[in-house]
Amino acid sequence: MAQLKKNRTTALVTLVWTLGFFIIWEIVAFLVQASPNIRSPEKVLPHFWKIIATAFDGKKINRTDTAIQLVWINAKVTLFRSAQGFVIGSLIGYLLALVMSLSKIMKKIAFPYLMIIQMIPILGMAPILLSFTGDIDTSRIVIAAILTFYPVATNTLAGIEAVEKEKYELMHCFAASKWQLYMKTLIPASIPYVFTGLKVSAPLAITASILVDTLQGGVGLGCLLSQSLKGAMTRYVFWLIVVISAAIGILSFVVMGLFEDFVSPHKKAERATRR
Amino acid sequence: MKKKFTMNWGSASTIIYPALFGIIMLVMWQSGLLNLVLHTDTNTLPSPSRINAIIADNGDKILLNLKATVLVALFGLFFGSLLGYGIAIIAAQYKKWGAGGITLAAAFNAVPIVALAPVMNNLTKQFSPSVDFRSMMAKMFVVMIVCIAGMSVNAYRGLTELKPFAADLMKTYAASNFTIFKKLLLPNSIPYIFTALRVSLPGSIISALVTEYFSEKVIGIGRQIRENIVTAQFATAWAYIVVSCLLGIGLYVVLLLVEGVVMKNRNKNKG
Amino acid sequence: MHMTNTEDEITMSDIGMKFNNGNEEITALTSVSLHVKKGEFISLVGPSGCGKTTLLRIIADLLTPTSGTINIGGETPSEARLKGRYGMVFQSPVLYEWRTVLKNVELPLEIMGIPQEKRKERAEEMLEMVGLKDFGKSYPGQLSGGMQQRVGIARALVIRPEILLMDEPFSALDEFTRERLHEDLLNIWRRTNKTIVFVTHNISESVFLSDKICVLSPHPGRLSAVLDVDFERPRQMAIKNTPSYSAKVVEVRSSFEGV
Repeated sequence: MAQLKKNRTTALVTLVWTLGFFIIWEIVAFLVQASPNIRSPEKVLPHFWKIIATAFDGKKINRTDTAIQLVWINAKVTLFRSAQGFVIGSLIGYLLALVMSLSKIMKKIAFPYLMIIQMIPILGMAPILLSFTGDIDTSRIVIAAILTFYPVATNTLAGIEAVEKEKYELMHCFAASKWQLYMKTLIPASIPYVFTGLKVSAPLAITASILVDTLQGGVGLGCLLSQSLKGAMTRYVFWLIVVISAAIGILSFVVMGLFEDFVSPHKKAERATRR
Repeated sequence: MKKKFTMNWGSASTIIYPALFGIIMLVMWQSGLLNLVLHTDTNTLPSPSRINAIIADNGDKILLNLKATVLVALFGLFFGSLLGYGIAIIAAQYKKWGAGGITLAAAFNAVPIVALAPVMNNLTKQFSPSVDFRSMMAKMFVVMIVCIAGMSVNAYRGLTELKPFAADLMKTYAASNFTIFKKLLLPNSIPYIFTALRVSLPGSIISALVTEYFSEKVIGIGRQIRENIVTAQFATAWAYIVVSCLLGIGLYVVLLLVEGVVMKNRNKNKG
Repeated sequence: MHMTNTEDEITMSDIGMKFNNGNEEITALTSVSLHVKKGEFISLVGPSGCGKTTLLRIIADLLTPTSGTINIGGETPSEARLKGRYGMVFQSPVLYEWRTVLKNVELPLEIMGIPQEKRKERAEEMLEMVGLKDFGKSYPGQLSGGMQQRVGIARALVIRPEILLMDEPFSALDEFTRERLHEDLLNIWRRTNKTIVFVTHNISESVFLSDKICVLSPHPGRLSAVLDVDFERPRQMAIKNTPSYSAKVVEVRSSFEGV
C-alpha cells in the first residue's frame, strides 16, 4: 500500500515538473515578445501553444500538405531508417558480446577497439560515411547501427560478466552443458543490462538519422528542418519539428522502458512488493 | 619457471592481440587492400601516408580549427558539469521534488542534438553583435545542455546513494550540512562524477562537432569535415577526421589518467 | 587393500588440497580421512580457514583434491555429479530473479531433460515439502531470506538425490528463522532418509542437527576429531537446555586445535 502511494507521488511530482517547465517556457516567450529589441520573437522562443496550434492548422504549407502532414511524412521515413539501423546494430552488438564472453582471444582483440569507438566522434564522421555509401538511406542505417552497436555490446558484456560465481557453480552441480549455461543463465541474466544499452542508443539512433538528413536534401525530419529554416514556411513549422523531434527522442526511451517491463515481468513484481 | 611465463603471456597478450590486429588493418589500408574490400577508391578513402602529408602541410589551419572545437567542447563540458552538479545538490537537498527534477534533466539526454543546435543559434543572435562570440556561445550552450543532463543524473545518485548509516553517523556527530557535504557527500559522489564524465567528454566533443555544422561562423573540426566533403576534397576531410579521432582518444586518455590518480586509493581492497 | 563397505555413502582417504597463489602455496587440507554412512546427518564444523567448505566442494566435484582419493558409493565425484546423485544448497539462495519460484525449482529438471508435466508435478511436490505451496507464482525478489533459502532447498531436493550437501545454508538468517528451518530440515530428512553433509561454524547448530560432528582446525586444515551425537531423535528444541547438550558443545569446542 505504501509502495502504491509512493508511485503515485512520483508520478505527481514528474507531472508538476513538466507543467512547470512549460509554464517557464511561456513566461520567457512573453518576455521575449514584450522586449523591444527583438524584432521577430518567434525566431527566439515562441509560445508553446502557438507551436501546438500549428500542428492543428489546416492551411497547406506547400502544394499538397498541411504542416502536420508534412512532418508526419518526413518523420516516418527518418524513424523507419533509424529503427532498421537500431535493430541491426543491437543484433551485431549482442552477438559480439556473446562471442567475446566465449572466446578470451576475441575479447582481447575487440575490447580496446570497442573503447576507441566510444572515444571517437562517430557522428562527426557522418559526412564521410555518406560519401562512402553514396546512398543516404544506407548511410542512415549504418550510422544508427554503429551508434547502437557500442552501448549494446559493452552493456551486454558487463551483464554476462556480472553473473556471480555461485550461479556458475550451480550449473556445474546440475551437470549442465555450455549451451544450457548460456541459454538458462547467462543470457537471461544479461537482459537488464542489454536494456540499459538499448535505452541509451535508441535516442542516439534517431539523432543520427536526423543529422544525416541535414547533410543532403530529400525526405526526412532533418531535411525538413533545414528547409524550414530557409523561410519557405513559417517559423512555427521549424519549432514544431524541434518539439516533435524532442518528443520522438523521449518517446523512444519510454518505449524501450515499456518493452523491458514486458520482457522482465519480475522487475515489475519486485517493485510492487518492495518493503 | 613455467608458471611465471604463463602469467606474463596472459597479461602481454591483452596488448599483443589487439595491437597485431591494428597493425594488420593499417597495412591493409596503406597497401590498398582495404579499398578493395570496401569497394572504395583512393579518392574517398585515401592512404594513411597521404593523410599524414596533408596534416603536416596544413598544420596551422588545422590547429586553428582544433582550438575552436576544443574550446567549445571543454568550456561547455566544464560549465555544464558544474551546473549539473549544482542542480543535483539542490535536488538531493529536497529529495521529494528533486527526483522529479532529475527525471526532467534525464529527458534532455534523449532530445536529439540536431534539434537543439538551430534553436541555440537563433537564441544567441540576440546576445551579441559579434559573430565569433555568438557562434561560440551557441555551440557552448548545446554542449552545456548535454553535459548538464548527464552530470545531474549521475551526481544525484552520488549524493543520495550512500552506504547504510553513513548519513546517520554524521548526524551523531552533530555535523552541519556543509560539513556533511564536504566530508561525506562530495567524496562519495566522485566515482559518479567520473562515470558522468566518461560519457560527457566524448559527448561534448560530438556535440561540438555537430553544432558546428549549423553555426554561423565556418570554423571547427566538424565544420571542416563537412565543408571539405561538400567540395570533394576527401583527403583533407579525412585529415580532419583523423584529427578528431586523435582528439577524442587523447582527451579520453587524459580523463582516465586523472581518474586513476584521483581514485588511486579507493579500490585498494578489491581482489 | 581397501574394502568398500556397502553401508558407506562417502569415503575419503587421505585427502589433501593445496592452492597455488602465484607466489605461495597454501595448504587448505591435509590428510583428511572420513567415512560417511548412508542416511547419516554429518556436520563439518570449524572456524574460517579450516577447510570445511573446501572439503564440501571436493565432494561436490567443484574442486579436485591434489592428493588422496574420494569415493561416493563406488563412483568418483564427477560421475556422481553427472548422475545427479547429490544436490547442493549454497550460503546464499542463488535463485534466478527472472524466474518464478516454481520455475526456479524446475531448473535442474529442465537441464536433465525431464518433460514439462512431470517437472511441474515434482517441483510442486518439493515446494509443498518446504512449506511454500502457495508461492509458486511469486518471484524470488518478493520473498524473505528464509523463504528464498527454502526454495534453494526445494531445488536441491527436486532431482531426488541420495546426498544433500549444504554449505552454511542458514548463516545469513536471523536466529528465529534459523530455528524454524532447523525443524523443517530435520522433518524433511526424516521423511526422505537422505545422507546430509552440513557445513557450519555454529557449534550449537551442529550439535542440534547431526549424528556425527567432524571438527576441523585451520593452518593447515585438518580433521581434529570426529564426535558422535547420541541425543534421541526426533530432536526437540528443549534439549538445548539440558546439561548433556551443553557438555557436548563444550566437548566440540575443546576438540579444536590451535584456535
